[in-house]
Amino acid sequence: MIEVHELVKVFDTRGHIVRAVDNVSTTVAQGEVLVVIGPSGSGKSTFLRCLNGLEDFDSGSVSIDGLDLANPKTDVNAYRREVGMVFQHFNLFPHMTVLENLCLAQKVVRKRGKAEREAKARALLDKVGIGQKANEYPSRLSGGQQQRVAIARALAMEPKVMLFDEPTSALDPEMVGEVLDVMKTLAREGMTMVCVTHEMGFAREVANRVLFFDHGKLLEDSAPEDFFNSPKDLRAQAFLRQVL
Amino acid sequence: MIKQKKVQWPWHVLTVLVLIGLAGALYYATSLMSYEWRWNRVPQYFAYQAEEAQRAAEHSTIIELVRKGDTAEVVLRGEDGKEQRVSVADNSLQWVEGDEVDEGDVIGVNRHWAAGPLLWGLWTTVWLSLVSGVLGLIIGLATGLCRLSNNPTLRDLSTLYVELVRGTPLLVQIFIFYFFIGTVLNLSREFAGIAALSLFTGAYVAEIIRSGVQSIARGQNEAARSLGLNGSQSMRYVVLPQAFKRVLPPLAGQFISLVKDTSLVSVIAITELLKSGREVITTSFSPFEILFCVAGLYLLINLPLSHFASRLERRLAQSD
Repeated sequence: MIEVHELVKVFDTRGHIVRAVDNVSTTVAQGEVLVVIGPSGSGKSTFLRCLNGLEDFDSGSVSIDGLDLANPKTDVNAYRREVGMVFQHFNLFPHMTVLENLCLAQKVVRKRGKAEREAKARALLDKVGIGQKANEYPSRLSGGQQQRVAIARALAMEPKVMLFDEPTSALDPEMVGEVLDVMKTLAREGMTMVCVTHEMGFAREVANRVLFFDHGKLLEDSAPEDFFNSPKDLRAQAFLRQVL
Repeated sequence: MIKQKKVQWPWHVLTVLVLIGLAGALYYATSLMSYEWRWNRVPQYFAYQAEEAQRAAEHSTIIELVRKGDTAEVVLRGEDGKEQRVSVADNSLQWVEGDEVDEGDVIGVNRHWAAGPLLWGLWTTVWLSLVSGVLGLIIGLATGLCRLSNNPTLRDLSTLYVELVRGTPLLVQIFIFYFFIGTVLNLSREFAGIAALSLFTGAYVAEIIRSGVQSIARGQNEAARSLGLNGSQSMRYVVLPQAFKRVLPPLAGQFISLVKDTSLVSVIAITELLKSGREVITTSFSPFEILFCVAGLYLLINLPLSHFASRLERRLAQSD
């Protein structure tokens, strides 16, 4: 479904060149849940952002169902409609109520009628367990609630893939569980997901595959039980010793 | 330390005392230069009873006079038997029944309230500010977005415009618009004044809009784009509404400045509030009273404006 071929992303800040994503190739099949882990600065977030074109890349290709981001003729907005994204800092629109947050893209991009988009929004809010907060502004919600709204907002576009960029890293510890529960439900329902996360428990329990990044390179791509029990790469071994 | 509740009202009383002291000092200063305050002369420059003379159309005789309250109905008959009816203010009637009047003789006057020069000046200032403000907002919004554009030409041109306008005095711009561009393109003085004011305001509004848009966290645009909105949709639905809320106080300040800056177009002989005031001074010989009134009228526009802005700010803050 997602095909990444020899992806390279270079950051050039005044001559200081960093290969943030260094020649990465992988594929994600329909319904697969990938967890991307690695130390900070390893390029895992940049890799994820390349998957929906928020970050442009220097060479290689990224495609979803044949829609290729490397092709200049591809309508990047049409591409992004198929890819939902959840951010570390939620990025809810603070000037809109929860319901309006969920309805905006449905209205502007999908051109859905008012009744249809609100029904969809309310169903999704019920699904993530905050149906009663539909008319609140995001600032009145806890971090965990905001992140669940953000997930619902992305789902409202009925994406083929969901990308999660450290969705629990900005949360207070007691709220991590409620967000992970929503993500687990999604995974069980067969959503294709790519998650950058530090939640090793989630990776063990839900992931089909674990990708380990360091210095922009994809060093390991294996099943979670193999990765956690017998990592092949030395740096992956060192990383796991520190986090587990 | 335990927080102590301080009593506030004595300080407010002190404020009032200070103000009274200042007013007293002002009065004393003017008494030293033997200035005679004549506030009673001022109201007529706001509104006055205009008199409109009613004249006989031809040589004729007053055949009938009917008094109705304050007005008198006068019927004249000419030599050919044609009747003329005029109604005039009763106490201005110069004639009695049976008098003969010549063509052009004043029978009496009609009185009605008319706006004086200060009110006309106020009106001119208001509409100049409104038109220039709206145009300045449109120019500023467009320029501000051009400043953030990816297109180098748009960026260069908008930067050049902003720097040119902000780096030169408004007074100089008004002169250039009136004497140079106005002469070349044959513009009216009002057009030249409005053009100068709105371009001046536009440059400042552009900077306010640009800083507002840039102050909105990048994540907002990214979230909108990740949902499939294109750049302009993200700007319109997500970034600008938040930016507008944030720039409302400086924007209100800019429009208050604009109202005051309209006084500068008096130099190209647009009779706005200040010029009206100066004209009134030459006939009334009461410069202090008139200048205080002019200042008060500017306040009359600007105080409600800042009140409105702070109310709008509070209303938009409800999502915080």
